[in-house]
Amino acid sequence: MSTPLVLLPGDEVPSDHLPPANNNPLKLGPGLKLLSEPTPASEKPRHVLTATQAGILSTDAKRNTVSLLSFPNRRYIPTVNDLVIAQIHHSSADYFHCMVTPHTAHALLGQLSFEGANKKTRPMLKQGELVYARVLSVGLGAGAEVEITCVNPATGKADGGLGPLVGGMVFDITTGMAARLIRASSSSPDDDDAVDGLVVLSELGRKLESIGGFEIAVGRNGKVWVDCSNAGDSAVKATIALGRCLQGTDEHNLNPADQKKLVSKVLREFKLA
Amino acid sequence: MSREANLSVAEREFVLEALRQGQRLDGRQADQYRPLSISFGEEYGHVKLQLGKTSLVVRISAEVTKPRDERPFDGLFNINVELSAMGSPAWENGRSNDAEAYVANVVDRVVRHSNALDTESLCIVQGVSCWSIRADVHVLDFDGNLTDAVCIAVMTGLQHFRRPDAVVRDGQVIVYGIDERVPVALNITHKPLSVTFNAFNEGKNLILDASLKEELASEGELVIGINNGGEVCFLSKFAGAPVDAHDIVEKSNVALEKVKEINARIDKVLLADLSRRGKKGMMEESRAENDREIDSRTTTVV
Repeated sequence: MSTPLVLLPGDEVPSDHLPPANNNPLKLGPGLKLLSEPTPASEKPRHVLTATQAGILSTDAKRNTVSLLSFPNRRYIPTVNDLVIAQIHHSSADYFHCMVTPHTAHALLGQLSFEGANKKTRPMLKQGELVYARVLSVGLGAGAEVEITCVNPATGKADGGLGPLVGGMVFDITTGMAARLIRASSSSPDDDDAVDGLVVLSELGRKLESIGGFEIAVGRNGKVWVDCSNAGDSAVKATIALGRCLQGTDEHNLNPADQKKLVSKVLREFKLA
Repeated sequence: MSREANLSVAEREFVLEALRQGQRLDGRQADQYRPLSISFGEEYGHVKLQLGKTSLVVRISAEVTKPRDERPFDGLFNINVELSAMGSPAWENGRSNDAEAYVANVVDRVVRHSNALDTESLCIVQGVSCWSIRADVHVLDFDGNLTDAVCIAVMTGLQHFRRPDAVVRDGQVIVYGIDERVPVALNITHKPLSVTFNAFNEGKNLILDASLKEELASEGELVIGINNGGEVCFLSKFAGAPVDAHDIVEKSNVALEKVKEINARIDKVLLADLSRRGKKGMMEESRAENDREIDSRTTTVV
């Protein structure tokens, strides 16, 4: 991989860093915006891709996406297509009102935005239950309503494990770490990514396989849901170990070697490996 | 919105189940504090404290005022706890909330009502002037157990603070600046601290120094204010799940142990800071036996 390109807010994304042009539309990740540049009326309007946050530019030619890998921020700003872990606050006739971030306006989740849901059969979620959802729209301007969904509107399927999360435990991490985790899980495991260097999950997966593995859902809003219910008696220990490994990696910004050390240290403490 | 957002069902269940198995989220023992770090600012009585991720600053200040009419021999001492939006998104600036009232009340009772600071020593002229000591608490980050953190910080601040020296001459009160005369330490009669336990699973699990997530899942709180001598000066079990009387006795012993530990820590950091400050002030600086420092300006001219 070439040297990473660092962008500051307001910087233009150089066109040679974009994936080669093809017929598919280019998808923008969080932290990037398409702005139209003021030009004389006679000319064609020019558009520039601009960074709205500081971060490292990352492109994926296969999926035709370009996104910005931001710094480990704590504040989450919803962006369309983000995967989030939301908590049901209350329910109304058409919507579940969900907390994506505490103490901000509630996000709306349609009562029927679940796989296979219709007027007769739909999930009856109560206050405090969790859903894994995708941001559908964020609206325009301040105070606009954020809508999330647990189903892909095009296919009607809940791809990527969207839907209610039952059991398990949620750990808080920085949004930057959440973004890294999502990227790490989408890239192939043998791909040695110089920007990410995140091996904590694959390491944990390898070591916890013997006790039944674990399920994990990463929300871009800085939450990780972990479930080890297959692990039987050591489920609680394994879950806590997972949470501590993830938070430790996040807090101390560990490099791959230290991540491995942390994982074996924590697992030894809990006598899991 | 003046309350912390509720935990999700999954989180609450997990915290309770983990405690039933004797596990805490951060791998601590039931009777273990998070790492505590205390540092001082440039001035006397400026304390920065971190207990895990809970972080706060305490400033102690003093001014000369008129004593209360009903207590002409007493100085004034106030602890001012204000939770601003910096500490947690749940708190709003300029609007008091339950947490603020609760913490202020407990700290007031543990530190002020137990007479940890001898207010009679603050009197300058009976009925005319006295020192008013004020402790301002600013919470920078909140991750549970604010009460203990505030108590430790206020007590450290009171022991670190030096008030200007004041004398009465011909009925006139003269207050000397910090540089003019060696400032005076406050008269601390004893060192009480609060130790907070949170109850879970119908009072079966009692844990020390709960983090925010644990606090939100908790069913009740047991606060013990105790000093180094083992004298309990405050005990509260306001609401929530009942706690066995036997547990209260047992936890008081744990609290005593913890208070001794923390007070030893405070003494250590105070000593380290005071020796770092070393010889300062006009009296010390003007002594003949001090090393002569060559002014940098003169050397450049030469």
